[in-house]
Amino acid sequence: MTAAAVPAPGAFRKCGATGLLVHSRAEWLIKLNAVTAVVALLIGASAALLLVLTRWQAVHLLPAVWYYRLLGVHGMNMLIFFIIYFEMAVLWFAGTVLLNSRPAAPRFGFFNFGLMVVGSLLILWMQFSGKADVLFTSYPPLKADPIYYLGIILFAVGGLCVVGQYFATLVIARREKTYVGSQPLVVYGATTAAIIAVVTLLHGALVYIPTFLWSVGLIPAVDPEVYRLLWWALGHSSQQINVAAMVAIWYMLGGLTVGAVVLNEKVSRSAFVLYILFISMASAHHLLVDPGFGPAWKIVNTSYFMYMAVLASMVHGFTVPAGMELGMRLRGFTDGLFGWLRRAPWGDPGFSALVLSVVVFGFFGGITGVTIGTEQINILAHNTLRIPGHFHATVVSGTAMAFMGATYYLLPLIFQRKVAFWKVARIQPYLFAGGMLMVEMGMTFAGSFGVPRRHWDISFSQAAFDVQFNPVVDLFLALMGIGGILAVTGALAFILIAVKSVFLGEKVTEFPRGSAIAGIPQGLTNPPVHAANVDEINEQLHAPSRGWMGATPGTVVLVGVFFLAFILYYFTNWKLLSFLWKIG
Amino acid sequence: MPPAPGSTEEPPEPVPLGQRLYDNVFLLLTVSLLIMFGVFTGWGMWEILTMPPATLP
Repeated sequence: MTAAAVPAPGAFRKCGATGLLVHSRAEWLIKLNAVTAVVALLIGASAALLLVLTRWQAVHLLPAVWYYRLLGVHGMNMLIFFIIYFEMAVLWFAGTVLLNSRPAAPRFGFFNFGLMVVGSLLILWMQFSGKADVLFTSYPPLKADPIYYLGIILFAVGGLCVVGQYFATLVIARREKTYVGSQPLVVYGATTAAIIAVVTLLHGALVYIPTFLWSVGLIPAVDPEVYRLLWWALGHSSQQINVAAMVAIWYMLGGLTVGAVVLNEKVSRSAFVLYILFISMASAHHLLVDPGFGPAWKIVNTSYFMYMAVLASMVHGFTVPAGMELGMRLRGFTDGLFGWLRRAPWGDPGFSALVLSVVVFGFFGGITGVTIGTEQINILAHNTLRIPGHFHATVVSGTAMAFMGATYYLLPLIFQRKVAFWKVARIQPYLFAGGMLMVEMGMTFAGSFGVPRRHWDISFSQAAFDVQFNPVVDLFLALMGIGGILAVTGALAFILIAVKSVFLGEKVTEFPRGSAIAGIPQGLTNPPVHAANVDEINEQLHAPSRGWMGATPGTVVLVGVFFLAFILYYFTNWKLLSFLWKIG
Repeated sequence: MPPAPGSTEEPPEPVPLGQRLYDNVFLLLTVSLLIMFGVFTGWGMWEILTMPPATLP
């Protein structure tokens, strides 16, 4: 390590709870990105409330123009701004705090953050002024004002530069030996997200630069099919960045809340590598009914290669809860199959958010995703409400829920503030997850009866033709509407907690051990420690006499339930397809 | 580098090849770009560009 490489002593502070070094400029970048993410969540959640109250046919709140306008606003704020600003915060956190490193070119980081904010403001300005009523996907020949595309390009360039800074920070940390050996697993997950982000943002440049040139009249046309191909490599892959970041947060929250252990580093890292290599191809799911691509391209991209990424998700879906179970058992909670779950800290919003994220992402998002991503079954689901039913389970109940859980720990650790409205915070994950589950079930079942997505009025009032849906869809749309109200209430509660904590919260720099303190998650005041006889417990857990269920029998049972649900849903869909598609 | 004669220090254990590959972030980035641009983007573009034009009825 050279003298020049050693950062100024005043640049770092030592975290009172974890002992990690926090660089002051990286800390500011984490704070700025996290706060901006919450602002985007507020805009997106407000739009969501109006949208579900419109799709709920009995209420049908908005006029058509504002329905489609706010659908674009909702998509952009939730799928891009909220998620990517939070991921930028995760990259700064993982690259600097978790590696005890200084950030690469932090001033450039502030510039890039500014670039992203300017881009976001341009996009929102165009959307709210009605100059970009092209929905989130902006398929040509729909054309928005050039400023809209410019905003997206500025946002993407800022994001890509931050990803570059993350890689540079990794190089600095390695050169300055701020850590030894391989990157910690949580950082490895963030690195996976960063690599997928490069793939995603390069496709973003490939699609939006020509579209911008088309919008200003410099090129005559954009081929709609080429646009769809490239756009979905951006639109779907951007959600795979979320998946990697979310799984990294699962491992982090598992360790912080219940002392989860990593069952096998090789297996978990291999799963992340499978994400890096294959997950972006899931973009092809959106093109399964497009006539421009042959079956070989579709099947290779969505089946053979994509299933490697599905395998990775199932690996994480086992290792995260199994790591939590083993961690709890090593702390002495060894009774029965599920004693470790009963004794878990369910009042800690970091823990409850983690569990709800894992369960809903896996059971609902994973199973529906693989099923509707099957080429033959896709014809049943394409462009119906089943699609948003699936991705709300992954992006909202999975990723956003995990990000919320992480926030409850980042508020004391990074913002050095107690979590405000602590009693509300303890129930917020349940309210949000419960509401979202109702939304997802309502959408999925309504979609199964053919209700289309992105449709202002399925009653087709005043239309020249009539389409009748099974009357039960009204029940499912009402379920979606009521769930939406609950979920938005949960999201607004989270925003209120975060804003009050950040700007008016009680300062906290010390984390006294051993006592429960309102506003500080239990993982910081009572960090999970192994039982005094941990070696003895470990030996018993790994004794051959325990059979194939091994040291984590509770998780094995839960995984069995998952596979049963998977098989049931998957083959039910084939049965449904056989009703539609009669052969012989 | 072998330990000095008389030294009691253990030589560092060699890092397995798999771990070195997994730790090489830039290699993973390159392979990821190659697979995605080859199998999804390149092949997809080829499918579109070689599609015969539809004949008008």
